Amino acid sequence: MSESNNFRQGMGIAFRMGTEMTVATLLGGGMGYGVDYFFGTKPWGIVVGVVFGGAAGMLNVYRAAQAMTEEIEKADRDQNNSSSKDQDGKN
Amino acid sequence: MENPLHHFELHPLVHLSLMGFDISINEGVVAMWVALAVVFGLFMLVVKNGVRLIPGKLQSVLEMALEFVRDMVEEFIGKEEAPKYFPFIVTLFFFILACNLIGMIPGSYTITSQLVVTGTFAGFIFVMTLFIGFSKHGLKFLSILVPPGVPKVMIPVMIPIEFISMLARPISLAVRLFANMTAGHTILFVLFSLSMSASLMVGWMPFGFTVIINGLELAIAFIQAYIFTILTCVYIGDVIHLH
Repeated sequence: MSESNNFRQGMGIAFRMGTEMTVATLLGGGMGYGVDYFFGTKPWGIVVGVVFGGAAGMLNVYRAAQAMTEEIEKADRDQNNSSSKDQDGKN
Repeated sequence: MENPLHHFELHPLVHLSLMGFDISINEGVVAMWVALAVVFGLFMLVVKNGVRLIPGKLQSVLEMALEFVRDMVEEFIGKEEAPKYFPFIVTLFFFILACNLIGMIPGSYTITSQLVVTGTFAGFIFVMTLFIGFSKHGLKFLSILVPPGVPKVMIPVMIPIEFISMLARPISLAVRLFANMTAGHTILFVLFSLSMSASLMVGWMPFGFTVIINGLELAIAFIQAYIFTILTCVYIGDVIHLH
């Protein structure tokens, strides 16, 4: 049961992170392109847009990773607590 | 060989139009109806037989699934607010799961492999989070664009970054589900046509892979439904508890 749980969680993490960065970078680039198109500021809009988009992607991935680490640490703590309790019971 | 993306094309079965809009019924619409009917039927079966204190097989499976989603909602949205959003999120979960699983039946149509469908879901969720945020916090909701503890000098840089990261969320939500389903089914198609076009001596190899990938796709059908709903919970939770 726990093995399939780990598999599910791992797949979840992998799928979540992958698209997060790509999409943010592309979106930033797209917005920059739009700015270029309407204001005639070629090529600066897309340059700044890709940088900002990349930063936004990093931010999203960082936040998601942070939330996951907290979750894993919490689960570990719970496990340790319950296992130490078991030992107490045996003693 | 046939175009590997051919089976994603939609062909109208019944031509309909309303005020100049094409609302023809195609395979995708039918697949959606079937998904709705399956989910509704499964739950109605339990309700019709009477919800018992000691659950039968079907009832306990459905109860487990409901509790699984409820725990998720409570974890990310909070215990007090959870009952308000639970019905929406659980519906979303079962509908996407049913659509994904129906797509696994050979010859049927995977409606979640259409960007329009996943995009509509994600767009609706995005507008909903904005609505919840503004109705809960008023104009203070805009402070979501400024993360706490940012030096004043960085604020003009952080606002566009946060803005892009906000906008990227629904897009990545939509693209992830769409891309995973499309890619998986394309791989299945390519592998299967390889095994069909080769002789039996070589053909068993891609066929074996088709079987294995089919199992993986089944897992992905669950995982993607799970990720879509968990991220919906995260996004709603984020606008409810600002930072």
